[in-house]
Amino acid sequence: MNTAGASAATYLPAVARGSVSAFEAFYDRYASTVYALLLRILANADDAQEVLQETFVKAWTNAKMFDSVRGSEIAWLISIARSRGIDRLRSRKIRNTREDEAGREVSIRSSFVDHTTGADRAIQSEEQRAVRSALAELPDAQRRALELAYFEGLSQTEIAERLAEPLGTIKTRMQLGMKKLRDRLQAFQ
Amino acid sequence: MTHEETESIAALDALGLAGAGDAVVMAMHVASCIPCRRARDEYRRATTLLALDLEPVPPPRELRERLVESVRRAATRRRTSWWLSAAAVFALALFGWREFNTRSELTRLQQENAKLVSEMAALGAADTRTIALAGQEIAPRASAKVFLEPNRRRAVVFFHDLPENPGDKSYQLWIIRADQPEPMSAGVFDVTRSGAASISIENLPIATEIKALAVTLEPKGGVKQPTNTEFYVAGNAPM
Repeated sequence: MNTAGASAATYLPAVARGSVSAFEAFYDRYASTVYALLLRILANADDAQEVLQETFVKAWTNAKMFDSVRGSEIAWLISIARSRGIDRLRSRKIRNTREDEAGREVSIRSSFVDHTTGADRAIQSEEQRAVRSALAELPDAQRRALELAYFEGLSQTEIAERLAEPLGTIKTRMQLGMKKLRDRLQAFQ
Repeated sequence: MTHEETESIAALDALGLAGAGDAVVMAMHVASCIPCRRARDEYRRATTLLALDLEPVPPPRELRERLVESVRRAATRRRTSWWLSAAAVFALALFGWREFNTRSELTRLQQENAKLVSEMAALGAADTRTIALAGQEIAPRASAKVFLEPNRRRAVVFFHDLPENPGDKSYQLWIIRADQPEPMSAGVFDVTRSGAASISIENLPIATEIKALAVTLEPKGGVKQPTNTEFYVAGNAPM
């Protein structure tokens, strides 16, 4: 299992050498995961597709900077996508339109074509099951606070306001949640 | 800074919630502390579980085609530019040092002039972003303003009300990057009695890779990595 843990690089060394076919395989393996993240952050298909493209262009140009000691290829890619997604979310100030856009996604998703191979899908669903079981042990309140920071880029003060909880409670909740998440990651590797 | 404090900051940093000063202190600490660096990396990886829990959604096929096509073109350019670079070096050698030296002074003056003109343009460019750096405990009145041109990957930084640096020391500006563990030096500068200074930075990492900026006082001429955690000014770069 190499989902989020440190692992040997599979595609990026070849991508760094300029292999377009390795880049295509890299894209086919991870694009669905990254796109789901960007849709969750941006709640807007156009924005998500634009940032997805930026993310993979950056992966192509910066592939040689990937360090497998610090994490897996997907963790590296997710950190690029998340950072750019939050950047876009903040710069376009689209937070207020999230509710309106949410309904649109359903119809857009139905026209997508899946390039993922059968083997990729099997790996993905195995990973998904492992991740689900790892996250199942995180109490809902802790998970909610972490998700607001991770997917919406809110500060601890903003999270406290959103959840109508004291700031101190949120800080404690987030520290406990992160510790638990890290423990689960270690058990999961 | 203790290991527990660093871990606590690392947990927040993984979610993008660490303050500028904390992020810089952590970056310096983990540069020489392997267990804390491991903790920092584990917290970062742990947050990716939140993303991996989402149901994958295949993106549109057209997007893949567009992307692969642009990558293919870039790969071709990469190969071509290698040959062009080699040809340029060869041509320069043929051109000869005598001619080169005669013109070098004129070129230098022209470059300086162009740099000044472009710096002025940077301040007024439509896409220029500003980042404010606030005075920290050691110099609460100090401040700095960074004018960042993301498209041209450069910045001009103006410092105000910094204490004059001793003759054997220099101020050094550090960039904390999201994609690298150690702080990156962005330049060394001196401050006179006026408290003011400015520096230009070229070849910046792109804006989304910059997490924070901070200034320390270092041995004259600067150092590869910060030797202390006393920040004069510091600030988070808006993501």
